[in-house]
Amino acid sequence: MSETRILTEADCREIFERVKALARGGGETAISITSWWQGELRWARNRVSLSSDRRDVEISVTRTLERGGRGDVTTNQLDDHSLEAAVRAAERMSKLYHSPGRGFGFEPPQQKYPMPDSAPVWSPATVGASTLERGEVARSMIAPAETAGLYSAGYLEVRAASRMMLNTEVTDPQPGDGEYTQSSYVRWTQAQCSTTVRDASGTGSGWAGLSSYDWDRVHDEAGALAERAVQKCKASRNPVALEPGRYTVILEPQAVADLMEPFVRSFDRLDAEDGSGPWKFTWDDAIGKWRSKLGLKVVDERITISHDPMDPWQSIIMPRFDEPGPVTWIERGVLKNLRYPLSTGLELGRRHSLRGAVGYRISSGDTSMEEMIRSTRRGLLVTRFSNLKLLDEDSLLTTGLTRDGLWLIENGEITKAVKNFRFTESPLFVLNNVEQIGEAVPVFRPTKEEDGELTPAIVPPIKARDFSFTSLIDAV
Amino acid sequence: MMISRRDLVKLGLKAGVGATLLSGVPRWAQAKALGIAPEMPLPITDPWIKELALRAVEAARSAGAMYADVRLTHTRGRGFSPFPTSVGDSERLSVGVRALVDGYWGFAASPIWQPDEMARLGREAVNQAKVMAMGPRRQIDLASVPVVHDEHWTMPVEIDPFEVSPFEVTDFLMGLRHFVKGFSGFKPGDYQPLAHFQVQEKAFASSEGAYYTQRVYRSLGELKIGYEGGARKVGGALDTLTPAGLGWELFTGQAIREQIRQLMEELKEDASLPLKPVEVGRYEVVCDAQTVATLADRTLGTATQLDRALGFEANASGTSYLNAPLEMLGRFEVGSPLLTLTANRSERGGAATVAWDDEGVRPDEFTLVREGTLEDFQTTRESAAWLVDSSTKANREIRSHGCAAAPSAINVPMLHTPNLRVEPGSEALDFDGAVASLEEGIAIRHMGVDMDFQGLNGLGQSSRVYEIKDGKRVAMIQGAGFLFRAPELWKGLVALGGEESVRRYGLGSSKGEPAQSVFHSVSAPPAVFEEFTVIDPKRKA
Repeated sequence: MSETRILTEADCREIFERVKALARGGGETAISITSWWQGELRWARNRVSLSSDRRDVEISVTRTLERGGRGDVTTNQLDDHSLEAAVRAAERMSKLYHSPGRGFGFEPPQQKYPMPDSAPVWSPATVGASTLERGEVARSMIAPAETAGLYSAGYLEVRAASRMMLNTEVTDPQPGDGEYTQSSYVRWTQAQCSTTVRDASGTGSGWAGLSSYDWDRVHDEAGALAERAVQKCKASRNPVALEPGRYTVILEPQAVADLMEPFVRSFDRLDAEDGSGPWKFTWDDAIGKWRSKLGLKVVDERITISHDPMDPWQSIIMPRFDEPGPVTWIERGVLKNLRYPLSTGLELGRRHSLRGAVGYRISSGDTSMEEMIRSTRRGLLVTRFSNLKLLDEDSLLTTGLTRDGLWLIENGEITKAVKNFRFTESPLFVLNNVEQIGEAVPVFRPTKEEDGELTPAIVPPIKARDFSFTSLIDAV
Repeated sequence: MMISRRDLVKLGLKAGVGATLLSGVPRWAQAKALGIAPEMPLPITDPWIKELALRAVEAARSAGAMYADVRLTHTRGRGFSPFPTSVGDSERLSVGVRALVDGYWGFAASPIWQPDEMARLGREAVNQAKVMAMGPRRQIDLASVPVVHDEHWTMPVEIDPFEVSPFEVTDFLMGLRHFVKGFSGFKPGDYQPLAHFQVQEKAFASSEGAYYTQRVYRSLGELKIGYEGGARKVGGALDTLTPAGLGWELFTGQAIREQIRQLMEELKEDASLPLKPVEVGRYEVVCDAQTVATLADRTLGTATQLDRALGFEANASGTSYLNAPLEMLGRFEVGSPLLTLTANRSERGGAATVAWDDEGVRPDEFTLVREGTLEDFQTTRESAAWLVDSSTKANREIRSHGCAAAPSAINVPMLHTPNLRVEPGSEALDFDGAVASLEEGIAIRHMGVDMDFQGLNGLGQSSRVYEIKDGKRVAMIQGAGFLFRAPELWKGLVALGGEESVRRYGLGSSKGEPAQSVFHSVSAPPAVFEEFTVIDPKRKA
């Protein structure tokens, strides 16, 4: 393990063999194994404040004895003694929760599914990024801020993780919809870097960040990120207070991605059929379900939201039983697809599940940021949003704050830094009030959990009218 | 024949075996070779664990660390929900070594408790620090601390939750479920009640010669109750099972059924009150103890973290509106003279209670806000030294308040909020009393609070907001929200409940990059605020 820093497929299979051999009393045995390694670097006040190297594993053992309940035990120890303790504990739990009604067997064996194709999710550069290299990048990002008499803070992380699920019912990878599903061994990497630059008096703050599975891409952008954060900090100093109200906004790609979080998470067919969320349409007595808005125009016709697993900027860990190939949730403003589980897929005769917008791209437009600003009589330029909170599941009404750079645009020019606002707005409303769209670019969208999967997003800047800012926030 | 470790102790062989085990061969291989199967896991007080800890510190020292410390944690967790029945156990061993080289911190952590791994982690922590120390100079002074020598502390709990049969726990929770369902119109929330228990054993050693071990418990539960009375649906949550440094007695040691009955009475009243829409404006407001605890935590509890105040969390959850600590200490008015906020990590049952923190410091009880004036910040050994200017002026000793913490040894210790206490008023006053004395205004139960990235501007929301007329709850206000700025909020404090009305809540908080979540307790009485801004949070501009 110390050689590779994460568990290999052979490690996982060997662990499963030992767990199986330790099981007593028949029934089923399933395990899920994850492992991760992270190299991390934090800095603040222009100095590295912590550099770290961490790794961990998690073996989750599930034992289900005949007529027993499910016993789940997790451990991070790989030795026989610990595994045996985990297996015994899981068996005790299973016995305790006697469940006479439960049948035997997990998912019925079904057709073998090949692993869907996708662009790489593993980058040797990410695993290979040395502590020295990380330190150099951090120092190169601090330097422009320190030279300008500003304070830089930031975080840089490289990660490798692996996962494998195995169980006794099915020896080869088989489809299934439950959590007992086997999963082939997968390993992936993630790299992220973000920086916040503030002035000494705390009246200005600028931010920039990027994440990718590939450290090289983050590395290549590091200088630009640092420069952008410094510029934003300088330009955001001494902001003036504006009245809350409705403004035309130019949302930078990161702000669009932040605002779209509740939107992209809402693409769910079963929710819609149950009558919850924004995609329910009308109750249908004939089928005893809600009809969804599939096939209806729901947002501006210039908006397409899709995912192509072969795009190297959108690589995700493809679920084994998922619809291979690209998925389009919204095509030219029309709702085309909503995620569903395999059971729904089988009912629909699709034989696959359909993924949600784990990774996604919003289609580009042809307006540059400069042109958006030039064509704005009065509006606000937003760097990013923070502290988002969904207020209403049906309308996706959300509240949150602007952060790290907000400017007033008057007669085609940026004229003033503006104090932050709380907004109360729905991403659905914004996507129906689009004026202009720019070129989509990769944004900062890392997963926080150490064993979390990749969630890349490629998002354009958007100019929209009548965005609702509800109160002044004088925090910087 | 298997020989257990206990048998070896009887034979007086343990010390010898321990020494042999440190020869670098994996422990289980050794154990196997010797024909013994050590009980797993060893108690944290076992000398073998101390040898592991010292080996890590030694490795860091000989690799060039000016200071190094190590934590080994053994964490067990057990979670329950009675319907559909589910229980999950987890057990994790973690070790993390921290090293300081020329003002730079390095940290290395893994799940492997073996002598070779201790040495590797010690060296790796130094490597991490050294590589960073190639950059510009950075000065770190660690506040001095009395060295703790070989002490052990076990958090006093009445019933160790891991010694209670899981079946008894499920039975108990199922009993509460049936109890709730026994009342017409009432039902427990889906998958509820919940219970979760954790016990964490920790060994700590530092290059200053400190060594301690401690065993800390945390228990928590959740029970939400819904009520349908007439055409109205209302709901509430039991607020007495929030995270606490207690054992199974969190559930069995209090009159839960009595509390449920009381909550049901409240919900019946809620359902009988007419509904009113929000009328935007400023009101005099009575907040229940949980609301006051949440407000204090999310505003001052966040803003008095010294690392946040000085910008160390700027790229993560944010900074603090108390942004000039040295100038503000002893002078800055954060609220009404009625407000005094103290902190500790020693109170019995507190969710952040420990004997020593993650840097070997025995936390003291200290005052963050005294009679409305900012008096102190939360500190660790590193951050305590940042207050040196003002401390010298005030002729104060530079000491850490012992706020270093982490979820486990896999995470680097950082400054986390200790237990907080909003000191009560001098007169006997409780929530109902405060409502009764209010001629016209609003009362709030169980408010949730979202703060900005400086702990300055907040939005509060609750589904249990009441219009008060002549001392009586006359209507429920639907969908009310509250907008406030922390300084104005606390300056508008006009009354605090008495000692009898103080309640304690366990709250979670998340911080850092990568983010860490830990718990602490906040005790507070109900309070009355004037000029509280009421809004409709769903109304757009």
